[in-house]
Amino acid sequence: MSSGLSRRSFLKLAASASAAAAVPGCEPAARKLIPYVVADPNVTPGIPSFFATICNECPAGCGLLATVREGRATHLDGNPEDPISQGSICARGQAGLQGLYNPDRLPHPMSRNAGGTLTRVSWDDAMKTVNSKLGAASKAGKDRVAFLGGAQGPSLRDVMSAWAAANNSSRVLYYSPFSNQGMREAAETLFGRRDLPVFRIDQAEVLISFGANFLETWISPVEFGRQYSEFRAPKERRGSTTIGRAFYVGPRLSTTAAKCDEWIAVAPGAETEIGFAILSVMLKQRWVSQNSGVDLDALAKLVASYDAAAVGKRTGVPVDTINRMAEAFGKANGALAISGSDDPASHLAAFVLNSATGNFGKTVMFLQDAPQGATNKAEVVKSFVDDLRAGKIDVLVVAGTNPVYSMPPEYRAAEALQKVPFVIWAGGVPDETAAMANLLLPMHHPLESWRDRNPRAGIWGLGQPVMQPVFESRDLGDIVLSTIQNPKWATSAEAVKATWQDLGTKAGGSFDDFWVKARREGGLFQDQHVADVKLNLASVQAPAPYTAPEISLYSYPHIFLYDGRGADKPWLQELPEPISQIVWDDWAEIHPDTARKLEVTDNAIVELKTEFGIIQVPALVRPTVMPDVIAVPFGLGHTAMGRYAANVGANPFAVLGAGRMSASVTVRPTGDSRKLVTPLGKSEQLGRSIVEAMTIEQLAAGEVPEGHEPEVKGPYEFYPAWDYPKHKWGMTIDVNACIGCSSCVAACYAENNVPFVGKEGVDNGHIMSWIRIERFYPEAHEENPPLMYLAPILCQQCDHAPCEPVCPVFASYHTEEGLNGQIYNRCVGTRYCENNCPYKVRRFNWFLPEWPSPLNLQLNPDVAVRGAGVMEKCTFCIQRIQYGELDALQEKRAVRDGEIVPACAQACPAHAITFGDIKDPASAMMRRRDQNKLRNYQILSELNTQPAVVYLRDLHSAKGKA
Amino acid sequence: MNRIMLPLAVLLLIGGLSTLAFSQRPWAPRPDVEQPIPFSHRIHAGVNQIPCQYCHNLASRSSEPGIPPVSRCVGCHGNKIAGAPGSGIVPVTRAWMDHSQPPFEIRWNRVYTLPDFVRFTHRPHIFEGIPCQRCHGPVQTMDRVVPVEEINMGFCIDCHTERHASLDCVSCHH
Repeated sequence: MSSGLSRRSFLKLAASASAAAAVPGCEPAARKLIPYVVADPNVTPGIPSFFATICNECPAGCGLLATVREGRATHLDGNPEDPISQGSICARGQAGLQGLYNPDRLPHPMSRNAGGTLTRVSWDDAMKTVNSKLGAASKAGKDRVAFLGGAQGPSLRDVMSAWAAANNSSRVLYYSPFSNQGMREAAETLFGRRDLPVFRIDQAEVLISFGANFLETWISPVEFGRQYSEFRAPKERRGSTTIGRAFYVGPRLSTTAAKCDEWIAVAPGAETEIGFAILSVMLKQRWVSQNSGVDLDALAKLVASYDAAAVGKRTGVPVDTINRMAEAFGKANGALAISGSDDPASHLAAFVLNSATGNFGKTVMFLQDAPQGATNKAEVVKSFVDDLRAGKIDVLVVAGTNPVYSMPPEYRAAEALQKVPFVIWAGGVPDETAAMANLLLPMHHPLESWRDRNPRAGIWGLGQPVMQPVFESRDLGDIVLSTIQNPKWATSAEAVKATWQDLGTKAGGSFDDFWVKARREGGLFQDQHVADVKLNLASVQAPAPYTAPEISLYSYPHIFLYDGRGADKPWLQELPEPISQIVWDDWAEIHPDTARKLEVTDNAIVELKTEFGIIQVPALVRPTVMPDVIAVPFGLGHTAMGRYAANVGANPFAVLGAGRMSASVTVRPTGDSRKLVTPLGKSEQLGRSIVEAMTIEQLAAGEVPEGHEPEVKGPYEFYPAWDYPKHKWGMTIDVNACIGCSSCVAACYAENNVPFVGKEGVDNGHIMSWIRIERFYPEAHEENPPLMYLAPILCQQCDHAPCEPVCPVFASYHTEEGLNGQIYNRCVGTRYCENNCPYKVRRFNWFLPEWPSPLNLQLNPDVAVRGAGVMEKCTFCIQRIQYGELDALQEKRAVRDGEIVPACAQACPAHAITFGDIKDPASAMMRRRDQNKLRNYQILSELNTQPAVVYLRDLHSAKGKA
Repeated sequence: MNRIMLPLAVLLLIGGLSTLAFSQRPWAPRPDVEQPIPFSHRIHAGVNQIPCQYCHNLASRSSEPGIPPVSRCVGCHGNKIAGAPGSGIVPVTRAWMDHSQPPFEIRWNRVYTLPDFVRFTHRPHIFEGIPCQRCHGPVQTMDRVVPVEEINMGFCIDCHTERHASLDCVSCHH
C-alpha cells in the first residue's frame, strides 16, 4: 500500500466509527423525579439510615443494625450496642434480607377450594372467612381453636394468648425442631430448672465439646465465635505462651471441630460415654475440686461402670486420649464442657464436669430471672399433634414454623393437619405446611413488623420495622387482634409498646426517653445476676451402656440452612458448607473405609433406611466423618418453599425419631448418581503456602515453621516502586481467629451486589463470590498439622499485581492507594487478568446476572451492577473507602484509623479481619502484624506479588501435649 | 483495495455518527426539557437571589442534591401559591392540598443524568466551593433549565486536572 488509505488508517477509521456507534447509551433520556410533599426526616436520598432491630433467623436473638437506603433495607449488620451480637452477625442473619425480598413470598391472601387449587382472595374476604370459622369453632366448645408457632418474643406470646382466650381456647403452642430439649432436661434433673445457662468460652483454658457445633448453629454462634477467638488467642499463662485447648468429641469433623486441637471421632450417642469416662478418670486422679459442692461419693457410684478402659473398648477411643482430656480439663484454670448431642445424658455429663471442677459461675452460669424456653416441651407438642389427629381442633393457625417438614415422622404431622377442618397458614414463602392449609395469609417479614425478644435474663431486644412492607402482607399480631372484639391492644405495635411500658416503669425515668433510647439502641440491656445453683445428683441415674449400631445416620443442622428455614435464600444455598464445600445440594458424608465396604463412590445416590422411612442422598466420600457413620445435614429436602428450596436434596427429619439426631440405618447404593457441586479446586495445598499453621509450642519457642521462607530473595524489582501519596490500604487476617463461618462471604454478597449463579453455574465454575473460605486437608507428610486449614481468601491487592500488566485496556490498574482497581466500564472481558491471578479471586460475568424481582431491591446503590462480559473483583469495598475519605475531607482532617471498615471485616464475629493504612504504623492493622511477627505470612509470597494482605498463621497445640 | 476499504470505512463512520446523532445521550446538552410545572429558576435563583442550596439542601452532604419537597414551596409562598384553575401552579397546590389515595405526585423530568457506571457525588464538589454553574450552566438566567454542558468524562477530567483533584479511576468508577 504505497498511497491512499493504509491498513493502519483503515483500522483507525473503522475503530473510531465503531466507537462512535458504541457510545450511545440505551437509557431513557427522561427519568422522573418525584419530590416528597413533606420530607421524611428518616430518609435522606443518597445517605443511609440505620435502624436497630433484632434478628429472627435463629433463637440466639442477636441485635441487628439495618442499613436502609431510600426506604429499602440493603444490608444487615450486628448492632454494636447489643451484648450478644456486638456488631457482627452470621451469614444466616445477613441472608434475612433475602427472606424479606424473596420473590416467592406469598404476594396476597390465597384460599384453597374443594378441588385443592389456590385462588386469590382479597384481604377483606379472607378475614371474613377467618372470622366466621373462628366464631363457629369457639362456639362449638372449649379449646377448638389453636395456634402453633415458632419461637416468639414476649409481646407476641401475650397477643396470641389473648387471641386464644377470646376464642374460648388455651391452645397456644410454640414448636421449633432445635430447642435444646436435651440440655433443658439435664438441667431439670440436676438443678431443677429448665432455662439455658450462659457460657463463657473466653473464661476457659480448656474446652470439651460433645458434638456441640458452637461456631455454627449451637445456641448463640456469633457470641461463641467471638468468645472462641478470644479463647484461642495466644496469651501468657504461668510463664509461657499458650492458647486455649479445645477437644471436639463427635461423629463428624464439623467446622467447629476443625477449629479445635483434637477431634475425637465417636459414633453418635457415644459422646456420653466419653463424658462419663473423663469424670471417672478425674475422680480417680483427684482432679476434681474438693469444695465444689458435688457429692463425690454419689458421683463415684454414677461413673462406676465408665472406667476409661471399658469405655475405650466400647467406643474405640484410645484410653490415653480420655486420660489426656481428663488431665487437661481437671488441671485447667477454668474449663468448660458443652454438649450438642441429642442425648440428655451427655448434657448431664457436661454439667457435672463443669460442676465438679468448680467452673460453675466462671465458665458457665445460670442467671437469675432467666426466661423459660420460647418453645414448648416435646411431650406437650406431641400430645397437641395427637389432639389434632383426633379431630379435637376445628381451626388451627400455623405461623413461623413448619411442622410438616420438621416434625418427627412418629408425630404424623401431615396426617394430623388433614384432620383439622380449617387450617390457616400465615407466613412468607409458602412451605410444606402451607401446602396443606385451607387459607394462606401473607405475613410481614420480621424486618417489617414490631416484635421483641428476651433471649436471656437482662437482655431485651426490640425489633422495629425497618421499611414499608414489600408485599400485600400484614403483621401476624395485627391479623389475629383484628379477629377479636375489644382487644387489649389494637395492633401488635401497641402490644410491644405495652410490654416495654412495663419494662420502662421498672427501669424508672420518663417513658418517652426510655422508648426513644430503646428504639435507638435496639433494646434494653441490663446487668445480669448469676443464680446460685446446687447440683443434685440424687435423681440421676447412669445411662444404659452404649452399644453402637452397625451403621448409624447422623444429622446435624446445616451451618447455613439450619432447620430448613434458610433453604429459600439463594445466598445461603450458594455459600459452600465450609468442610464439605458443597453448594445447592445435600450430601451423605461417608468415610472412605465404609464407602469401600458399601461399594459406593462420590455422587452415588445411597438409600438410607431407618425404622421411620427412607431418604436418598448422594454420597460424598471423605475422611471428615467417623467410619460406619453417615452424616447428612438437616435443612434441605423441601418439597415446597419456593424455587430455591423445593426439590433440592432429602430431609433427614423424615427418618429420625423425636428429638433425635441419629438413628441406626441400613444403606443401599441405588445405582443412580447425582453430581455434587463444589467451587473447590483441590483439597490439598500441594506444598504451596496458602493457609499456614504452626503449633503453639513453636510460637512459644520463637520458631518459625520451616519450608515457608520465600524461596527467592529480593531485591529484583524490574519497575520502580509505587509511590503512594496518601494511603496504602492493607489488611491483616488472623487465620487463628477465623472460624470459617462464612459471614464475611455473605456480607460481601450483600455489600457488593455479587450475583448468585445456581448449581449449574457453580458446576461450570461461574461462582461469583469475591471472598471465599478456602479449605484444605492436612497432608500425610505434615508434622503436627491442624485438623483442617480454613482461611478467607480475597483479592490480595498486590503491589506487583500479575493481573494489572496483562489488561489490554487498562481496566485493571493500580490505584493511587495501592488497590488493584477494576474499572467495569473499561473491561472488555479478555479474562487475561483472571488467568494471570495466582489467587483466583477475579470473577467473570459469563451471563447477565439476575435478581428476580424484588430481590433486586436489596442491591446496594453505591456499587455498580456489573453486566455480562465484565470481570469483577474485591477492592476492599472501595465505596466505603471513598465515603470515609470524603467524610475526612469535609471535616478537614485525616482519615481516622478504624473509620473505614470493609463489609467482610465488619461482619466477622471473631474479629479476624483488620483493615487499615499500611503507611500508618500505629494503625490497628499494622500493630496486629507487628505484635504477631512470628505468625506473619503472605500467600504464595515466592511469586513476589507483594500482597497488601498479611495473614497470621493458625495456631493449635501439638497432638498429644497436655 | 482502496476502492473497497475507503467507502467501507466512510460508511462505517457515517453509520456510527448517525447512530450517535439519533441516540439518546442523557448527559448531552438538549434544547429543551419539558416540566409539569412552569417553574422558573430565573425568577427564583436570579431575580430573587435564592441560594441554590436553599431548595437543593442535600447537595452539601449527599450524593444527591435533593429535589425540594412541596413543603419547601409552601414555606415561602404560603397561601399565595393558590392559582386559578388551569394555571401552571395547580399541580403544586394539588400535591399540598389533595390527600386522596393514591397520592398525587409531581413528576419532574430529570434534566441531568449520568451513566450507571459513574459514581458522582455532589458533596465534595460543594465542599470545594465549585459554583453550581460550573456544571449546570447559568441556571439563574434560565426559565426552564436545560443542560448546556456535555457532562462526559472529558468534562470531569479537565476540571479535576485543573484543580489537582483525584484522577484515580476508582474515584468515580466502582
